[in-house]
Amino acid sequence: MDPIVRMTNIAKHFGSVIALNGVSVDVFPGECHCLLGDNGAGKSTFIKTMSGVHKPTSGEILFEGTPMSFANPRDAIAAGIATVYQDLAMIPLMSVSRNFFMGNEPVKTIAGMRFFDHDYANRVTMDEMRAMGINLRGPDQAVGTLSGGERQTVAIARAVHFGAKVLILDEPTSALGVRQTSNVLATIDKVRKKGIAVVFITHNVRHAMAVGDRFTVLNRGQTLGTALKGDITPEELQDMMAGGQELATLEGSLGGTV
Amino acid sequence: MKFVKTMVAAVAVAAAPFAAAADGHADLNYVLVSHAPDSDSWWNTIKNGIALAGDQLGVNVEYRNPPTGDLADMARIIEQAAAAQPDGIITTLADFDVLSGPIKAAVDQGIDVIIMNSGTPEQVREVGGLMFVGQPEYDAGLAAGMRAKGDGVESFVCVNHVISNTVVAERCRGFADGLGVDLGDSMIDSGQDPAEIKNRVTAYLTANPETDAILTLGPTSADPTILAVKEMGLDGDIYFGTFDLGTNIVEAIKDGTIQWGIDQQPFLQAYLPVVVLANYDRYGVLPGNNINSGPGFVTKDALGKVEEFAGEYR
Amino acid sequence: MADTPQAALDERVKDISPIRKALIRPELGGIIGTVAVFTFFALLAGSSGMFNAQGIMNWTTVSAQFMIIAVGACLLMIAGEFDLSVGSMIGFAGMMVAIFGVTLGFPMWMAILITFAICLACGWLNGYIVVKTGLPSFIVTLATLFILRGFTIFIPQTVERKTIIGGIREAAEGDWLAPLFGAKILGGLFQWFGDIGLIAVFERGNRAGQPVVDGVPMLIVWAIVLIVFGHLLLTRTKFGNWIFAAGGDAQAARYVGVPVNQVKILMFMFTAFCATVFAVCQVMEFGSAGADRGLLKEFEAIIAVVIGGALLTGGYGSVIGAALGALIFGVVQQGLFFANVESSLFRVFLGVILLLAVILNTYIRRIITGER
Repeated sequence: MDPIVRMTNIAKHFGSVIALNGVSVDVFPGECHCLLGDNGAGKSTFIKTMSGVHKPTSGEILFEGTPMSFANPRDAIAAGIATVYQDLAMIPLMSVSRNFFMGNEPVKTIAGMRFFDHDYANRVTMDEMRAMGINLRGPDQAVGTLSGGERQTVAIARAVHFGAKVLILDEPTSALGVRQTSNVLATIDKVRKKGIAVVFITHNVRHAMAVGDRFTVLNRGQTLGTALKGDITPEELQDMMAGGQELATLEGSLGGTV
Repeated sequence: MKFVKTMVAAVAVAAAPFAAAADGHADLNYVLVSHAPDSDSWWNTIKNGIALAGDQLGVNVEYRNPPTGDLADMARIIEQAAAAQPDGIITTLADFDVLSGPIKAAVDQGIDVIIMNSGTPEQVREVGGLMFVGQPEYDAGLAAGMRAKGDGVESFVCVNHVISNTVVAERCRGFADGLGVDLGDSMIDSGQDPAEIKNRVTAYLTANPETDAILTLGPTSADPTILAVKEMGLDGDIYFGTFDLGTNIVEAIKDGTIQWGIDQQPFLQAYLPVVVLANYDRYGVLPGNNINSGPGFVTKDALGKVEEFAGEYR
Repeated sequence: MADTPQAALDERVKDISPIRKALIRPELGGIIGTVAVFTFFALLAGSSGMFNAQGIMNWTTVSAQFMIIAVGACLLMIAGEFDLSVGSMIGFAGMMVAIFGVTLGFPMWMAILITFAICLACGWLNGYIVVKTGLPSFIVTLATLFILRGFTIFIPQTVERKTIIGGIREAAEGDWLAPLFGAKILGGLFQWFGDIGLIAVFERGNRAGQPVVDGVPMLIVWAIVLIVFGHLLLTRTKFGNWIFAAGGDAQAARYVGVPVNQVKILMFMFTAFCATVFAVCQVMEFGSAGADRGLLKEFEAIIAVVIGGALLTGGYGSVIGAALGALIFGVVQQGLFFANVESSLFRVFLGVILLLAVILNTYIRRIITGER
């Protein structure tokens, strides 16, 4: 199978700062590709490059086999690359259905004027949320009344509904409790089974191991290789993220659960 | 619910002043509408004047004004006053275009209207007012200008704190004509803020040291100007005349900073219309002409009563 | 998707009764306030002429003025921005109509269109500066407030040597566009009301026999049109969703492709449009433009919007609520005169209402949005 996104030797410089220095990643449909890295490793820059926010300084991005250059996030979304940002996924003051269709509002024409089709939006929102395992009080319930995990799920369901082929999740679990984390991980699993490629950014090895099919570790703007599930242990991943051995001794005293 | 209780209590407190204000209906109700913003202290004399007239004659007189001095808001207040069907309305005619419509409508409804303070006799006739009580502004300015010319003044600065009031600006024009000079750039827009007025006057006098005289158009501009003149050490040196009186102006006349104040006697502008209206409504008697409440020049020599009642009835 | 098994109900989401749900909406505070204010004045000033035809027209007109600027301020506030230059814009726009239509002698329709173009450009500039510099709109429009007010005094002083320019009504005589702002409609209906004694008629003068209220001013028509337009735009269109999104969280909205900058700039222009409508109606009715017109109107607009339940920080609010806020404001302002209350107490009363409204609205909003 061909990768849906192939990024080769991507470099990104901000002035004199080298944020990415030769990153290569392949993403296949129906897999959950975990991108691991510590703070400052270049994860954010990398996903922003993939989602069209930044243009790479050098390197090549192939999307479905053809070279792509996105002018802005809208282009990337239109092509099927959707990103769910950790804190910026949803607007708390707005209703779930308004959030769900934000930027992609359905319209119906009445007397020559184009109106927001609330009936359609409400119906689809309820259905999609039910499919993801969240039972809303109503489509007009404000997102602010949802838990953090539920908000992530709404955002993921939204991206999937609007035809995402590649779903980039920026640390979706980092601010969540145990139960909400497992809900989000379950959602990721559902999405993967629909044949969508999921890029799951995290620095939590256990969350990555729970749903990941393949693992790429970023360190100081470079990839340290990609490993398949089963080929690598959590401890090895942890070491690679830290970029060496300095965590190893610590880990012993912490019981290997960092 | 505690919240609701709090709200009810708060509304009750807020409503308390109304209970007192709503009763006390006399047999005749009049409304005086001014164009002055809340911040203009000169109108305090007007309030005292109508209160005294109301007490003496046993009639009810309300004072109303647009809080920011916006004349369009004033037009609405006149319309509102007419809707409340008082026996008479006393109002200024600060802008004929804006106010003539509402005033005419009130007159046509059968409400007696007396114009006070601002307006010309011709305009008063046109809107159908009973009479005009006030000081013809241009004439007052002209008289002041001629007096100043006699005292040897050749140039002046006019400190205008109500730049948007064309009627008041007539005072400056009259003064310039009385002096026989062109108004030109002699009028400065001082704004209403005392500190700004003071600074602008200081700046003007610094930039134009040859200025012979200062003309201020009321206590709002006169009080800070007095300070500016004293600070620059020009008191008694520069020729300083002002329209209208106030506590500080009287003090300044006394110590020689101000040569004269033109008293348009606002007390009369408030008191007389009430008297005229009440007697017209009760006995059908009406003076045959407009009443000129001013100008009267107040100098150092005649300060007794002025000083006693400055800011209150003078 | 109908066959998907129902997910377990979250026990922490309380069930809400349909009545409560119907009540809990952004406009609730405005509705309660309106009822309270009308009850209050019906008791206190019921016999004072406040509720005869002329009295009703008086506070309706004043409320309509507030409504026109409140609709603009409301949409802009929901989009996350303020415009403090509304009051100055009113003075400026009126002065522009006077300068072009009277001083320069242009046909009135052309003067009005030029004024609209200039003011929309000012609104655009406000928005462009805010969006491009990222400065708080509070500061940018505060600057505009001073700049426009300064020009409003300077220009007529320079060209006419005075600060009130009259003669606009005469200049607008026979113009095709001016009646859209200055005319009154339904005159026949009101004449009939007068004839059958439903409303009072003039007793003397050359209008004797005509009703004291001789029609609905276009100002009120504009207010209704703008409220309906604003409400539909906000709640029933795609663009309305973008307004909410832009004010709720601009960054989140950008990530899903909402053109936040354009939305904000357009809302600044809409606010300027509303201010210009206000100004043109005013100069057409009163016939003159003055340099001090519109003083402090920006705050009155914001107060009306806040009474109506909008959130100062954006992303939440209702045009209907803002219109009710404007109605409350207008009724209170004029009603206090009818009730013969010392006019300086108006501010006290307004402050109390504002405080109560904000407390009530915060409480309602927390229920709706789950804010903590």
